[in-house]
Amino acid sequence: MVMASEDEVSLLVIVVDVNPIWWGQQANREPQFTLSKCLDAVMVMGNSHLVMTRNNKLAIIASHCQESHFLYPFKLWKSGDGHGDDNPSTSGDGKYELLSVANDIMAEEIKILMSRTEVKGNQTDTLLAGSLAKALCYIHRVTKELEAGQEIKSRILVIKAADDCALQYMNFMNVIFAAQKQSILIDACVLDSDSGLLQQACDITGGLYLMIPQKIALAQYLLWVFLPDSDQRSQLVLPPPVHVDYRAACFCHRNLIEIGYVCSVCLSIFCNFSPICTTCETAFKIPLPQMVKAKKKKLKPST
Amino acid sequence: MAALSEEVLLVVKRVRQRKQDGTLYLMAERIAWGPEGKDRFTVSHLYADIRQKISPDGKAKIQLQLVLHTGESTNFHFSNESTALRDRDAAKDLLQQLLPKFKKRANKELEEKNRMLQEDPVLFQLYKDLVVSQVISAEEFWANRLSLNNVDHSASNNKQEVGISAAFLADIRPQTDGCNGLRYNLTSDIIESIFRTYPAVKQKYAENVPHNLTEKEFWTRFFQSHYFHRDRISTGLQDIFSECAKQDEKGLRSMVVQGVKNPLVDLLSLEDKTLDEGYGSNSMAPSTSSANKTVKENSNSAIIKRFNHHSAMVLAAGAGKKADAPNDQASETSSTDGNSRDSDFFQPPVKKVKIQEAIEYEDLHMENGKKTVALNLKKSDRYSHGPVPLLPQQYTTSQDIINSVNCIQQEIANYKPCLTQVMSSSTASSAIAALSPGGLLMQAGSQQAINQMVPSDVQGELKHLYTAAGELLRHFWSCFPVNTPFLEEKLTGHLEDMFQMAYNKFHAWQTRQMLRKT
Repeated sequence: MVMASEDEVSLLVIVVDVNPIWWGQQANREPQFTLSKCLDAVMVMGNSHLVMTRNNKLAIIASHCQESHFLYPFKLWKSGDGHGDDNPSTSGDGKYELLSVANDIMAEEIKILMSRTEVKGNQTDTLLAGSLAKALCYIHRVTKELEAGQEIKSRILVIKAADDCALQYMNFMNVIFAAQKQSILIDACVLDSDSGLLQQACDITGGLYLMIPQKIALAQYLLWVFLPDSDQRSQLVLPPPVHVDYRAACFCHRNLIEIGYVCSVCLSIFCNFSPICTTCETAFKIPLPQMVKAKKKKLKPST
Repeated sequence: MAALSEEVLLVVKRVRQRKQDGTLYLMAERIAWGPEGKDRFTVSHLYADIRQKISPDGKAKIQLQLVLHTGESTNFHFSNESTALRDRDAAKDLLQQLLPKFKKRANKELEEKNRMLQEDPVLFQLYKDLVVSQVISAEEFWANRLSLNNVDHSASNNKQEVGISAAFLADIRPQTDGCNGLRYNLTSDIIESIFRTYPAVKQKYAENVPHNLTEKEFWTRFFQSHYFHRDRISTGLQDIFSECAKQDEKGLRSMVVQGVKNPLVDLLSLEDKTLDEGYGSNSMAPSTSSANKTVKENSNSAIIKRFNHHSAMVLAAGAGKKADAPNDQASETSSTDGNSRDSDFFQPPVKKVKIQEAIEYEDLHMENGKKTVALNLKKSDRYSHGPVPLLPQQYTTSQDIINSVNCIQQEIANYKPCLTQVMSSSTASSAIAALSPGGLLMQAGSQQAINQMVPSDVQGELKHLYTAAGELLRHFWSCFPVNTPFLEEKLTGHLEDMFQMAYNKFHAWQTRQMLRKT
């Protein structure tokens, strides 16, 4: 097994779905697992990642329905400085300073984020595609800021709560392909219902997709499955990849079809044949199979 | 029957075949024998069919036996007492000349087939499965395949000509022998280069070797002669190569006279011009008479002349191979092959094109793009919806939304991370159990791939059957569209049988496999 060299930086970006509507409803459904518990589990995951190796880096993005906000690292925070009046480096329990600072920042930021939530009826979907795009940009920036001779390996872990938003499809796919080009893994830990988009993301980029049966054991699942990086995963026995449904949807009814008709001009997919493509209005002439004329039998002269 | 237009190469009278007297005729493409008195042939074989001829010496009867490819043999007995042996030998010699020509053609196909079968193991397997077990006839099998490959074969026959290195003379580095002599190492490549570049030397070689001189002597004289050496001062000695030197001079002069016809090349501007007297205004034509020049200039110009001549000859030998064949006689004497071709090349229309090329730039032309039809999308928003079917969203009332948001805001406002009590040990262990092999989440991994369950020999056999079925299907589909009655007959009759046989074979294999299991 190749040990990570001293110069290899491993960056983990955790994108947490903090959709207030879903979590608010969740508080009623399952009071023992609320957003607070979820954030605790995420903090444990983040701390564990940071203590694995000195060179590990962490970023946490909260994906809200109105914005995507970095919970960590704090924008104005320079390494080593405390921020504000309180000096978190001397906080009580003798924890490794980096961890305690990180935790405090995260808690602070989520409070700020939630306090400025506005109630809007038409914005109920998590802006997951946007958060992923921000994560990619952050990774890109960190990659550019590396010192000479350092290499970086990045991955994104998505913790998803609410349902998929079909309107974000194109953005999502663009993000997935961008991540694939940059060799950035996208892992997904899904709390509630399966997400086709994240399944595709994990399949395409080479990450792991897991839908967990017990939400309260989230921390355990995160540490077991998602903490090892891609080199180490090949040595471990982890849940097998799920079967992804790559069927296309027809343009007319949005049914998932296996066999269909494709317009050769605009490449739109239909489930039924029609002589005019409704997207680009090209008329098609399909030659019908020619009828074979019955041969007249020659009458043989009687001998 | 003998075609009237056939050329008869040899007629031998009094040849017996099967105890009958007759005459043997050897034609351009076949050998035939007709009995005496009749004017039609009873025996006629194409040379292509004859595999070999046997003419046993020393026997009482003077015979000639022909063995055909099919295995049958024919015996001719030469019964003319006086000339029998001579006749037979004449016939034998003629056959010896003619047979190889036809032999190649027949064998070539077989060789081709063998080669194809050997090179491609899949094809070989297919051949075994289908032709050997009589599912498809051999002709049908080879019908499509041979035609394709013959084209490739002929293309690869046109090998490229190997060019001549301009430094081939320099490669013959003389080594001192130790006792005041020099050793020149000549390889056959160098000899070939010399012959190709200097046809005059080749001619000399052809004239003198092996009648007058041995090869070694020829080359020794070649290297000793002043022809080879730098300073070609004609010593007047009777040297076989002095003629070559004179020929070279002639050739060079005619090359200079012809000049270069490419309108864009101006060789005269490369002349040496002295600027001492009159600073260029005094453009003196360089005198060609050797009397005016100093000795040094003379030897310099001589060596430069030799370099130019050598380069021109090397280029001529390398370039003029195609048109050489008909002009072979002429080119031996005129050593200006390259340039004569050059001047032919630059005929007026070509010259015009050359000038055109030089004055026009493609990028600066007007854009005459191809006519395209713009893509006209009426409903382009369809593309931005993914395969996620638009399921009816869970309807949440606005009251619900307000409540949820308030609830969460309250919760987070009082949030304090409590990392020591994230989960209980029992939940943790149940999660680990689910993640261990055999647990809830690991079910899919225990399925084995099917190719690990089936033994490899069964897999191999199945693959062979599959490719054979593919081949049969190819024959089936090639019959469409049914244009000719032949195809129709093939489809309804012949192919049916083929498929039936193939199916029987498969069925037999299948039952064998099933029996093996039980």
